[in-house]
Amino acid sequence: MSMNRSVKLKPNAADLLIVAAVLLLAALALFRFFPGGARDGAQSAVVSIDGKIVERLPLFQRAQRSYTANGYTLRVSVEDGGVRVAQSDCPTQDCVHTGVISRRGQSIVCLPARLTVTIEGAPDGYDLVVGQGVAE
Amino acid sequence: MTSTRRIALCAVLAALALTFSYLESFFPLALFVPLPGVKLGLANIVTVFALYFLGASSALAILLVRCLLGALFAGNASALIFSLLGGFSAMLVMILLRRCRIFSIFGVSIGGAAAHNCGQILAALLTLGNAAPLAYLPVLLLVSLLTGSLTGLIAALLFRSMAHFPMDHI
Repeated sequence: MSMNRSVKLKPNAADLLIVAAVLLLAALALFRFFPGGARDGAQSAVVSIDGKIVERLPLFQRAQRSYTANGYTLRVSVEDGGVRVAQSDCPTQDCVHTGVISRRGQSIVCLPARLTVTIEGAPDGYDLVVGQGVAE
Repeated sequence: MTSTRRIALCAVLAALALTFSYLESFFPLALFVPLPGVKLGLANIVTVFALYFLGASSALAILLVRCLLGALFAGNASALIFSLLGGFSAMLVMILLRRCRIFSIFGVSIGGAAAHNCGQILAALLTLGNAAPLAYLPVLLLVSLLTGSLTGLIAALLFRSMAHFPMDHI
């Protein structure tokens, strides 16, 4: 086949344009969906099923809830100012592996159950927390 | 290449893409990056190869067969919208980037991987009905730089070794 000679097989300078475009898009998405700025009110975990909000759980209050959505049951647990999916019978387990979320704009998504947990409310006042848990 | 050989090669490549999709489930990349949709994208090697070796129309046919049969084998109809939107976004971007002629197979492949993730986020938005999946977009785009480079590297190595292979009778 003669096409082999026309194919550029080594990375070149033009490829950096594509890398830059992808990085720019990532940065735009980051600033659009994790905006700074204060909002009043305490943080709460918003649980949605099929795009409809079913419950708001304040993060300062310990809570255990079970939700049944699209044939799957998820146990959502609020403790120590964070929320996690403690247990799920969905096949992918991505929601459980996501772990604890505690900052505004973070979310847990369970695609099989079409359930999302998103944190709304006032930010915690830090841009970044470094070095936590090092002493353990 | 005769049309019979072309059809046979398309069928073999579609089967190979399906095999890659299956093998990929044994590399749980999601353990390191716990996000839905983080994959190595091994099946995209076939897409990139087909696009360069057989052209856009054959590559599209292979992609469509891969998405439909993949959803059928997985028995999961809701996965179909994810693979279709992801696959076709990637294909469209790669066809356009390749037409530009200034980008190497690496750039084309990275663009395709990024578009694939954008398409899957779009599918998640449509499935879930809210904006929560958009929060995953920045990380998924960064991951696509790595997976896209890997796909491009493998395709480049493949074409490099094929240059020493007598292809004239194919």
